[in-house]
Amino acid sequence: MPGADSGSAPSRTVVVTGLGAVTAFGWGADALWRGLNSGRAAIGGFDRFDSSGYRTHVAAQVDLAEEPLRPRGKPRRVSLADRFAIASAREAAAQAGLGAGAFARTGVYFGSSTGGMLESEVFFAALLAALGGGRAPAVDLLSSQQYNGPGDAVARALGAGGPVQTISAACASGAMAIGDALRAVRCGAVEAAVAGGSDSLCRLTYGGFNSLRSVDERPCRPFRAERVGLSIGEGAAALVLEPLERARARGARPLAVAAGEAATCDAHHMTSPHPKGAGAADAMRRALADASLDADEIDFINAHGTGTPLNDAAEQAAIAAVFGDRAAEIPVTSTKALVGHLLGAAGALEAVATIMCLRAGEVHPMPDTGTPDPALQLRLVLGSPLRPERVRHALSTSLAFGGANAALVLSRFGDDARGQ
Amino acid sequence: MGSEVAVTGLGTIGPCGHGREALASALAAGKPVAAEVDRSAGLHREEGAHLAALVVERDVSRWVPPAAARRMSFPSKLAVAAARMALADAGVAGDGDGAYVGVYLATTFGSVLFTEKLLRQILLEGAEAAQPFYFSECVANAATAQLAIALGARGPNVTITQREAGPLLAVASAAQAVREGRVERALVGAVEEITPLLHALLDRFDALARPQGGLPEMPRPFDRRRNGFLAGEGATVLVLEGEDAARARDARLLARVGWSGAGFDATASVTDWGVGEVTLAAGLRAGLERAPGGAASIAAVVSGASGSRRGDLLEARVLRAAWGKSPLPPVLTPKAIVGEYGGGILAPALLALEGAPFGPVQGFTETDAEAGVQPGSSAQRAPTSRLLLTGLASGGAAAWLVLERAP
Amino acid sequence: MSDTLAIRSKIKQLLVDALHLEGLAPADIADDAPLFGEGLGLDSVDALELVVALEKEFKIRIQSHEVGKESLASVSALAAFVEGRLAAAENANAGS
Repeated sequence: MPGADSGSAPSRTVVVTGLGAVTAFGWGADALWRGLNSGRAAIGGFDRFDSSGYRTHVAAQVDLAEEPLRPRGKPRRVSLADRFAIASAREAAAQAGLGAGAFARTGVYFGSSTGGMLESEVFFAALLAALGGGRAPAVDLLSSQQYNGPGDAVARALGAGGPVQTISAACASGAMAIGDALRAVRCGAVEAAVAGGSDSLCRLTYGGFNSLRSVDERPCRPFRAERVGLSIGEGAAALVLEPLERARARGARPLAVAAGEAATCDAHHMTSPHPKGAGAADAMRRALADASLDADEIDFINAHGTGTPLNDAAEQAAIAAVFGDRAAEIPVTSTKALVGHLLGAAGALEAVATIMCLRAGEVHPMPDTGTPDPALQLRLVLGSPLRPERVRHALSTSLAFGGANAALVLSRFGDDARGQ
Repeated sequence: MGSEVAVTGLGTIGPCGHGREALASALAAGKPVAAEVDRSAGLHREEGAHLAALVVERDVSRWVPPAAARRMSFPSKLAVAAARMALADAGVAGDGDGAYVGVYLATTFGSVLFTEKLLRQILLEGAEAAQPFYFSECVANAATAQLAIALGARGPNVTITQREAGPLLAVASAAQAVREGRVERALVGAVEEITPLLHALLDRFDALARPQGGLPEMPRPFDRRRNGFLAGEGATVLVLEGEDAARARDARLLARVGWSGAGFDATASVTDWGVGEVTLAAGLRAGLERAPGGAASIAAVVSGASGSRRGDLLEARVLRAAWGKSPLPPVLTPKAIVGEYGGGILAPALLALEGAPFGPVQGFTETDAEAGVQPGSSAQRAPTSRLLLTGLASGGAAAWLVLERAP
Repeated sequence: MSDTLAIRSKIKQLLVDALHLEGLAPADIADDAPLFGEGLGLDSVDALELVVALEKEFKIRIQSHEVGKESLASVSALAAFVEGRLAAAENANAGS
């Protein structure tokens, strides 16, 4: 049974042995990979709720008709975000070769920005209508309302016994959850961990981001001159993390190394990033140090890349600060250009995408729309996948609402001598 | 690295008032600090709960100047106020001394009032009526972010949303970061606001204490006729730093952070507690045995028991199983006074460590044979050596924390 | 002319109310004082909040590209902008 040690525990190489994802490209990591390389964004009209009253009308919506297996339990007590989370966790567990009973000493570290808010909105609308003189709706729709809904649902579905913790740090939640899992596995506080994030489309965030006028009417165009805002997406991602020795001992195949993590805060403004990306740069440097890697060793970056004017500029400034002369040469992509911004799940989904890129030896492209912003000297991967000469280590970054930043360093398994 | 972690400051705002003295008086008196909730919106059930542990003194301008608070929701103001109070208590000058600070806050519901207002706008007036001021505070990490902005805290900005286990998980996270040298100092705690809507909804889940069987509405931890908890709002922030660093700057050490552990009871349903006491107790016992003296060295338990039927039962079973044949130490139940959520049990625990008296709990009249635990009281005025704090969350998460008197 | 005064007065009240500028009386806001950056020191989120308040108060629509520009720079600029919108709406109604 897990308990925190006094920081004197040995440091282990932590590997990822399972991946799972649910996105607008479909249910499953394979569907995600195909979509990421299709050249087309999965961002368009949606009907999760009536979008006609909003300033924008596109999002990256998951097709529910493709859900492989609905979880058990009363439907009204399981939110859509729960369903995404459970599906992605089950997929990751299956890939890792972990079945029932294998999670007694496994922690679950999840992120979500709105939990079961979509269902709560339906409840609240019915409640407001009932105030005029009708019967109040049943509260069971609110059962999984809170931010910890999806993470708890995963823990219950897997029968996890370890620490279970949900972080809700807006757009950095998923990456921070992976960071927590990485540290817990590394120091031996848990035997293994399932980390990830989940969020569904909902009126609160769709309307909220629109109130900030930061949503693009068209699919977002990260780092492009024409960028005007983000695209919102929904879905979930999950990863199984464990020590390399354990994976080996049970014959599981490592897919990647979770090499390093860091989290910082701009401490600048509630909705705008630090203009020079200072906190983000700090997170990148600390993650590199945590991974015992130099900036020179990063082969590509999966950027936060929302497509908002300020975020992209701040992120480019951070990249320039950390990578110096190489900043304009390192391939940069943003998964958000294809599946939208998954908010609390984004960092986890993008870690999955990054790992798939590492394994394939190629960086997935963004759809080739607009023109790269000349004010941001970056080597954007557009149109078709890029096969750099070397694809060993990658950086995945998240710059959140409220100023929290998170960076993950993920490495290809097998090439790094230290990984053996 | 590997140095002990100390608590050097405490700031707390809750239903009892601002600061530790107000809280200490309430704990000594043993009575819930509750006020009538506004029912005028027509959201409440007729026969349900009427009371909540509300923050009555809502003016925190002493700690948060109105200009800075202009766009803050109430939870953000509470958190910033409690943090400044804690830093002052810790003897840290102004808003900081250039140290690299991480912020670790727990909340269950986030900014409830602003969320409700934003949803009302979207649902009733149309999406374009949504106000940016509301949305920017509607993320769960709003208070954590505001705290960082107010104090220039550039380290990790962590918001843990794990219901009743959140505050202890936050302390464990923060302590580990300090221990490993990832931050020099951490501001850690919990914040919650209770609005009429939230209160009405919790009541509709039968979660809240309410009048029943001739007994008045009151949280009754471990009592045979308990029927729910008292919803509470407030904020508590602690300052954590390396013990060596604290001593080097002559800081007063309020406590040393000891063992922390966490688990999960997969038998719990999404809104309730389960029956996984055997697994949970095994984890707790293993953790307690790491301390010199083991479970016997725990002078008192500061329990998360709140008056919930199944939550208190699980808590009792876990404690009894963990202690086995040995008698339990006194089990203090501060949530009978300050309610569930709010700043958690962190502030009462620090007071208990200093030897603050906990009066007999007013709501407790009759032992529940099934639970077999009674709320303890403590008239002692001598400092306690070691405490166990517990936090079992509905939905299944569990967290424990040991606080010790610093030598 | 009195319409303009009335509009400016409403805008000043709106600024104080919508942006929670406690301790500031509407009359204390000079017509031509800069609102953003310097002067009142409002920021981008204030601009967006103000836009929502203006849209509600005057029943006009403000496009995203118009937010944060010279049209919102001072009370006078705002009043001129609003008056222009109201007039355009009137003309549109008259024509239909």
